[in-house]
Amino acid sequence: MTWLLQLYPARWRERYGEEFGAVLASQRASVGLVLDVLGGAIDAHLYPQIQNSNSKPIKEKEEDTMTLLMLQRCSAGGPKLSPRDQRIASLFMVFSALVMAGLYIGLTKIYHSAPAVQALFYVSVPALALIYGETAYLRKRPWLTQVFILGGGLSGLYLFMLAVCVIGSRL
Amino acid sequence: MIRKSKDDAELDDFGRFSEPALLILVSLAEEPRHGYSMTEDIETIAGVRLGPGTLYGALARLEARGLIEPLKSEDRRNPYRLTTLGERALRARLDSMMVVARTGQRRLASA
Repeated sequence: MTWLLQLYPARWRERYGEEFGAVLASQRASVGLVLDVLGGAIDAHLYPQIQNSNSKPIKEKEEDTMTLLMLQRCSAGGPKLSPRDQRIASLFMVFSALVMAGLYIGLTKIYHSAPAVQALFYVSVPALALIYGETAYLRKRPWLTQVFILGGGLSGLYLFMLAVCVIGSRL
Repeated sequence: MIRKSKDDAELDDFGRFSEPALLILVSLAEEPRHGYSMTEDIETIAGVRLGPGTLYGALARLEARGLIEPLKSEDRRNPYRLTTLGERALRARLDSMMVVARTGQRRLASA
């Protein structure tokens, strides 16, 4: 179960990792425990409480709007993306588009218009938008977080579109 | 509307961690404790077992706001204790809860 600790930010693990591991090891493994730890990991990424010793704890500024706060919290580098960040995200998106196009052509040749292939076609546009956003805003997060959020988002989108295509093919 | 004191407002922005944070403060009011000991104590006094994700989410917030502080330990289980600020915040929160509880009981008795 202690592998779940890897989901927490590195600085958080440095500070609380050992004692957290001791408490985690003392509890019986269950779905509830895993969900609790996952929730804690997401919270630790979104609301990091550990600051440099010379800085003050994070506190919301009253004048910030909800949208700005969300952007600041979701993006490791803050909402200000440099032209370089945008170029990297764009290149990654174009590369992903080419991979998806190749995959679609290859699968169509083998499986023709099977729902799984159709779903890939329909999911490509929102998937590319998601890939761009994730690449731009999560680039400084730990790789495990990036894989978790990007993989989860893409899987969710694809499964949703697959369900739609399967239902549509049976009507 | 009950007017909150400044000390009582210390726990206000804890969101879903405000109840666990209060339970942690109550647990530490008796003596310094480490994480495992806190979960055991909280289960005894409140009947809920805090998961490690919830426990350390609340602990990190309490520590960041200076309501609790870690004590030196050679063991990997770091004990924590209440700070003066934490003690004041706990007193203020318990006082305001007491006012609500007394009012509720009085109204139920006269109903």
